[in-house]
Amino acid sequence: MKSRHGHWAAWILTITGAACFMGLAPAAALTLDHEKLTYPPLHDIVVPEVQRVTLPNGMRLFLLEDHELPLIYVSARIRVGSIYEPADKVGLADITGEVMRTGGTASKTGDELDEELERLAASVETSIGLSSGSASVSVLKEDIDRGLAILADVLMHPAFRPDKIELAKMQHRSSIARRNDQPDSIAAREFRQLIYGPESPYARHTEYATIDNITRDDLVAFHKRFYAPNNTMLAVWGDFDAEQMVERIEKAFADWQKIDLDLSATPAVDYAWGSSVNLVSKPDINQSNIYLGHIGGVMSDPDYFALTVMNQILGGGFTGRLFKNVRSRQGLAYSVFGRYASGYDHPGQFYVGCQTKSASTVHAIRAMIDEIEKITAEEVTDEELELAKTSYLNAFVFNFDSKGEIIRRLMTFEYYGYPPDFLQQTKDRVEQVTKADVLRVARAHLKPDTLKILVVGNPADFDEPLSTLGQVNAIDIAIPTPGK
Amino acid sequence: MGQPDREHRRPRGRLRLTLLAVLILASAGRAQDLAEFEARVTEFTLDNGLKFIVLERHEAPVVTCYTHADVGAANEVTGLTGLAHLFEHMAFKGTQRIGTRDYEAEAQVMAKIDAIFTEMKAERRKGDQANPQRLAELHQQFQEAQQETQAFLVHDEFEEVLKQAGGTGLNAGTSSDYTVYFVNLPSNKLELWMLMESDRFLNPVLREFYKEKNVVIEERRMRTESQPVGKLLEEFLAAAYKAHPYGVPVVGHMSDLEALERAEAEAFFRTHYVPSNLTMAVVGDVDPARVKALAQAYFGRIPARPDPDPVETVEPPQQGERRVIVEDPAQPFVLIGYHKPSINHPDNAVFDAITDIVGMGRTSRLYKSLVKEKRIAMYASGFQGMPGSKYPGLFLFYAVPARGHSNQECEAAIYAEIGRLKNELVSAEDLKKARTRARASVIRQLDSNSGLAGQLTAFEVMTGDWRNLFKQIDQINEVTAEDIQRVARQYFTTRNRTVGIIETTTGENES
Repeated sequence: MKSRHGHWAAWILTITGAACFMGLAPAAALTLDHEKLTYPPLHDIVVPEVQRVTLPNGMRLFLLEDHELPLIYVSARIRVGSIYEPADKVGLADITGEVMRTGGTASKTGDELDEELERLAASVETSIGLSSGSASVSVLKEDIDRGLAILADVLMHPAFRPDKIELAKMQHRSSIARRNDQPDSIAAREFRQLIYGPESPYARHTEYATIDNITRDDLVAFHKRFYAPNNTMLAVWGDFDAEQMVERIEKAFADWQKIDLDLSATPAVDYAWGSSVNLVSKPDINQSNIYLGHIGGVMSDPDYFALTVMNQILGGGFTGRLFKNVRSRQGLAYSVFGRYASGYDHPGQFYVGCQTKSASTVHAIRAMIDEIEKITAEEVTDEELELAKTSYLNAFVFNFDSKGEIIRRLMTFEYYGYPPDFLQQTKDRVEQVTKADVLRVARAHLKPDTLKILVVGNPADFDEPLSTLGQVNAIDIAIPTPGK
Repeated sequence: MGQPDREHRRPRGRLRLTLLAVLILASAGRAQDLAEFEARVTEFTLDNGLKFIVLERHEAPVVTCYTHADVGAANEVTGLTGLAHLFEHMAFKGTQRIGTRDYEAEAQVMAKIDAIFTEMKAERRKGDQANPQRLAELHQQFQEAQQETQAFLVHDEFEEVLKQAGGTGLNAGTSSDYTVYFVNLPSNKLELWMLMESDRFLNPVLREFYKEKNVVIEERRMRTESQPVGKLLEEFLAAAYKAHPYGVPVVGHMSDLEALERAEAEAFFRTHYVPSNLTMAVVGDVDPARVKALAQAYFGRIPARPDPDPVETVEPPQQGERRVIVEDPAQPFVLIGYHKPSINHPDNAVFDAITDIVGMGRTSRLYKSLVKEKRIAMYASGFQGMPGSKYPGLFLFYAVPARGHSNQECEAAIYAEIGRLKNELVSAEDLKKARTRARASVIRQLDSNSGLAGQLTAFEVMTGDWRNLFKQIDQINEVTAEDIQRVARQYFTTRNRTVGIIETTTGENES
């Protein structure tokens, strides 16, 4: 079998590599100039081949044998998401994803599942995010049939017991009550609303009223609409024989029937271009949380590869311009970040931000705008381009150091309609990016004169009034109380 | 060093086979499995006292390089708090070779900056009598001198060199107990790490010290002063410890941070970063003979120095319950801590078992009682090792009250669960589950090159032998129901207790 062959090949490479090193070992010479160091060739990366099967009921399987450990992992993706929930029931997707598991199945309560899984040192979990649902299993290989049976039961026959719906709603209400306690999460949340609009499925959030509106019937209907084999992908990796595993999965999901899917298109983002200055006044803190930016892009844009390089230069970790200039050179912030984010299926955000003392708020905003202007005004240096590209290419090996990561990435690409070799394409294209490309995409995608600026902080202590940057829009974050 | 941390990856590997055999399949001889694990570990100590632990994992051509310095905030003294953490930041500023174009010339300007700072401090200390004009002059000179160094600097070169080589996850961290530095590299770049890491602990240059101090001050504002639970934790630890330095915040007091000088950080480095205080782990696709040869060549350069003085202060027993309140617009929160012995005390394993029973997962007692049944908390748990494990620390219980429920309700419900530990023996089933979960939790921490590197060094340094990573599981297996009852009765007493709560001030944030 292919994957087994891969396994042996990797093993042999390792052995010969090690032997080669042994020959070099004694008496290492000291080289004090890091630029004069020479490196042995990197041991080959053997990328294992993932097997693909589609079951008669439409469920798509990805399988990868890995016989190192007596463990099996399953990770599923279901096409569902909070983008599909009604505006007056925000929270429905999240609660459905949680209570599918905690509320148990027709045959077992969630608490019984907890007890059984903990005895097996195993886990089965479910959740629903923005544009995808997930389910996972982790078990010792001898427990795989039980693990699959629980997974199938949870996906097919969730009981949505009322006590666990109430528990989930209580936790949501408690989170709402706490949502203004942390300035960084206020800033991220309000900036998202500025970018996508408060009603957008990409920015709206729960309120007491939307949680109150959710009923058990809603959960049952939401589950029924999306959870079907022809709407599900399943990745399995670990210590098994692929052929037998396909049979086991087929058996576990034998009763799951195809349905006619009613999937509306991913919601559009209707971005309103324009500058604005926005303030959340929080007099009890001595540091401002700042975000500035505008709408971002999608990964299918041909500029994505050059933007990846631009992101490295602008905001990449400890070596990006923002870190260097705002943190290292000016000491204005501990936390500074920024990137032009590209989503799989909808535009991400372009954001730059930091946390700085109240008295350097406007100064820091100007320093960050300067960086955006600079990257759109002139080419990056040869050194910056070289660092961004070689670091990406040299770190590429870390994309293949985990089997789970390899197989889940493949499933994600397929889920969002990207080619299976998208990562390799990214690498090839990143290698070709030039300084002119970086400038071109920066100019095409970044608009430093059309930024939405948000500050969460104490305006009484700012270095200059925010109004020096434009007319200030005060954002009220008071939490609406439900009518009782 | 903190912040950029979005590249964390969790490679899996062959190690888990061994561990799972040890931990989960259980019945096989544990000693034998440890022996198999040991066969892939190579240990050596250089002549200067610096220790290496090398673990081979050849699944992918990558390696994690990890430095564990046996120095943390607990080694600081009054007036110089925050120094361990600040030095950790400074360790990324380069060396006499890295980060500079002309070290000799740069050093002269740095000395000038130091002198101006000392003078500014002296002037400010006069308070109302300070001469504003003189202060303005000094401030001007200070800015100019800092500007003058720019000509010599190669900014962030230390990070750039490792990043260019394909380094990921480069970062560092400081706790009360220790300071760690780590990076993942393609395994053929091992020698680069040897050069960079040995150079920074041989000849670190604390350049741009006063700017980095401002970064750390922003970190303090972010983590402590703008975070309600951060604020509470600082007040809580200060109440729980009146003598031992565990009561001092790792990030340091604001006034100390403002006053710290470069010479003080250098003195701290010379005292504590002696080779015998450093333990390195190299985990991944490497050949131990090669690691040893390189280590001798590069780290062998660091001269041996005397061991630093140990922390002698012992926290005296409490004379009664201590309570602290933080008034804040934020929602309520309750922390309850009991003093307990260090990681090396035989009762440590009993506290591990208690952690599992009260604090881990959906079937744990606190979650079941406060969240599932009473629905008075959105989360509740308990664990040990706060603020550290090297010295006697705390066993901590905490609850996040649900909307409309109070700290008092949660506190009472936690005491009820503590009462159960004291009054009823835990069932055989509970104990068995605790053992399984304890094993699983150890495994999870070992699930990557970097996780392993951290665990091996932490156990080696704090307990004297990395093998205790495995032996702790044996110890948990030996814990009896009677042990749990005895420990609960002995330590979880009112007199030994500190309670900290956030009391919500009205108006700001709704209720």
